[in-house]
Amino acid sequence: MKKNYLRVLIFMTIFGLLFAANAFAAPPSKLVIGHPACLSGKYAKAGEQAIGGVKACIDWVNNVYGGILVGGKRVPLEYKYYDCESKKEGVTSLIERLITVDKVNVVFSAYSSGLTLAGAPVAERYSMLYMDHGGASDRIFQQGFQYIVQTIGPGSKYHVGTLSMIDHFDPEAKKVALAYEDSEFARMTMGGAEKHAKKLGKKIVFKRTYPKGVTDLTPLLSDMKARKPDIVVGGGHYEDGQLFARQMSDLDINVKALSLVASATLPAYYKALGGGIAEGVMGPSHWEYGVTFSPDGAMKVGLDWIGPGQDEFVSLFKKALGKDMIPDYHAAEAGAQVLAYVKAVENIGSVDQFKVRAALGKLKFMSFYGGWDVDDTGMQIGHSMVDMQWQNGKRVIVWPLEAATGNLIYPKPKF
Amino acid sequence: MIFQLLVGNLTHGLLLGGVYGVATMGLSLIFGVINVVNVGHGQFIMVGAFVALTMFTALGLSPVIAIPVALVLGMALGFFFFYTVMRRLIKAPELTSLLATFAMGILLEEIAKLIFGADFRGYNWAVGKITLPITTIPMSKVYAFVGSIVIALFLYFWFSKTRLGTAMRAVIEDNEGARVCGVNVGWIYALSFAIGIGLTVMSGVLLTMFIPVGINPYMGGRYTLKAFVIAVLGGLTSPYGAFFAGLIFGLIENGAYTLFAQIPGVAPFPLTVSLAFWMLFFLLLVKPTGLLGK
Repeated sequence: MKKNYLRVLIFMTIFGLLFAANAFAAPPSKLVIGHPACLSGKYAKAGEQAIGGVKACIDWVNNVYGGILVGGKRVPLEYKYYDCESKKEGVTSLIERLITVDKVNVVFSAYSSGLTLAGAPVAERYSMLYMDHGGASDRIFQQGFQYIVQTIGPGSKYHVGTLSMIDHFDPEAKKVALAYEDSEFARMTMGGAEKHAKKLGKKIVFKRTYPKGVTDLTPLLSDMKARKPDIVVGGGHYEDGQLFARQMSDLDINVKALSLVASATLPAYYKALGGGIAEGVMGPSHWEYGVTFSPDGAMKVGLDWIGPGQDEFVSLFKKALGKDMIPDYHAAEAGAQVLAYVKAVENIGSVDQFKVRAALGKLKFMSFYGGWDVDDTGMQIGHSMVDMQWQNGKRVIVWPLEAATGNLIYPKPKF
Repeated sequence: MIFQLLVGNLTHGLLLGGVYGVATMGLSLIFGVINVVNVGHGQFIMVGAFVALTMFTALGLSPVIAIPVALVLGMALGFFFFYTVMRRLIKAPELTSLLATFAMGILLEEIAKLIFGADFRGYNWAVGKITLPITTIPMSKVYAFVGSIVIALFLYFWFSKTRLGTAMRAVIEDNEGARVCGVNVGWIYALSFAIGIGLTVMSGVLLTMFIPVGINPYMGGRYTLKAFVIAVLGGLTSPYGAFFAGLIFGLIENGAYTLFAQIPGVAPFPLTVSLAFWMLFFLLLVKPTGLLGK
């Protein structure tokens, strides 16, 4: 009996000491965001934007906001990133390095659904919070991962607005062509587009995929031309999006609307193709310069606001990259992700991975990027997209109407 | 409609095939003369693409003018790499020269990245289109094809009518025999490598005339693979074989798509890519030396 008491006493003492150590642990001197970033390779363009967005918001948190409040003390954020070369093997090994060597507090995913999905099991193995700003595929959130949270919206919603907009302006435009990269992200995006097109009573007259790294789309586009579509929805990433519009122009394929995912929204798109080709091309976007999210707007819908305003973000972004460049949505979503992490940590006053993940699950707020809310799987449900169109070398928001900064040019000018 | 599509796509395939042919001739020439497989082949194509891009965007010069510039630059690069690296490796084990050309490719990629960044770039050389009943063809593609034919013919005459060309053919046939007959084999090695690289860089310009987007430091890898397939198809040591194989490859790549697209439930693009490799496999079984190889 005495022995048993002694055992209970020892157990309680150890438990008490551990509890006290945890409860009275000194707050960390800094919090580190780790990121296998795409500095080179096929996603370099989006990768550069993401880095600029993260740096801009870290700058705001450290120098305007005063740091993150953890354990009664404000601590700064630090950013540790390496180039994953837009490759899966780079992503997996770098996440391991960031967790085990650099001891980061949170890992931001690399750009694209494929790379995000590749890194998720590694983060999961280390019970590390894994924040996804560049992987839009719904499938990422159907794997049962516990530590992943999404900031970018789900891929299946990308073209919902685009098709609704065309239906709004021209219900007679019925024939839809879907031509897209055979990638995780594009499959998900076009699956959503097909579903929504059918819901709107449109007819899918052409549906084909092309492989990653394609160098010539002529046969596919010739085939598509023969089906005489009104609306073409396609693409996959920046490189093939350039090729797509270029070769549509070569083959004189003139349609009423052309929307290309994850390429047309990039500032470099117009420069690479020239006005004759890029003019009138549209793309769904998570954020565009000109959207009107503000603290007042947040208050109206009963959400907390955090972070810089739109213009402040743009100026911090330019400072971060040292370039006079307007950020695109890849930058905005990566930046908003920093703010979500800050909010979640402050809400619970802890940096424990499990607790922060749980806090992110309950978090609802608004920033310059728009709304933020996730479902039980971690998939983003609080953010709505806009549609942009190239008009005279400028990206103009054309949908939804309440966020529009200009009128839609419809039908699209001929190549 | 299918016939119209097929003929249209074959026309585009033929035009592209000409460019593929020139893009592979350099690889075959280098292998034929100095027995080195240039694994960095695609990166030299990338250099040519950047020559065209830079001349067009920075100087406003037509890609046609970039063709001779690329040849000169390519030959200069060829001589440089030959005298600094390749000369010492001609008698070395094959793996050594493979690694050396691989390293040359990486070096070129990184230099290009340093100068131009990793962006995907493009230029817009608008020189009109020909509208045919079966398809529309941009004139830039026609110019690229005509350029390819001119280059291939020039090379043919140079090989068959000039002393240097004859000396090169002699070295391809039997380098010891050529040496005994008084051919300066060392110089022929250097010149062949330089011409091979020059042709390859020049083909980069032609490729951008065909597809003037997606220009970036890492674009070469996918062309290396295609060039290897075409070179084997044509007979590894035969530059002419490479040209004809390029034409065939272009026709298959574009024509097969139309046929595969008629099969319900099939994604034609992956099948088209695999068809070229099946054809190569079949040819290696029937005629391992390739179409024009001996």
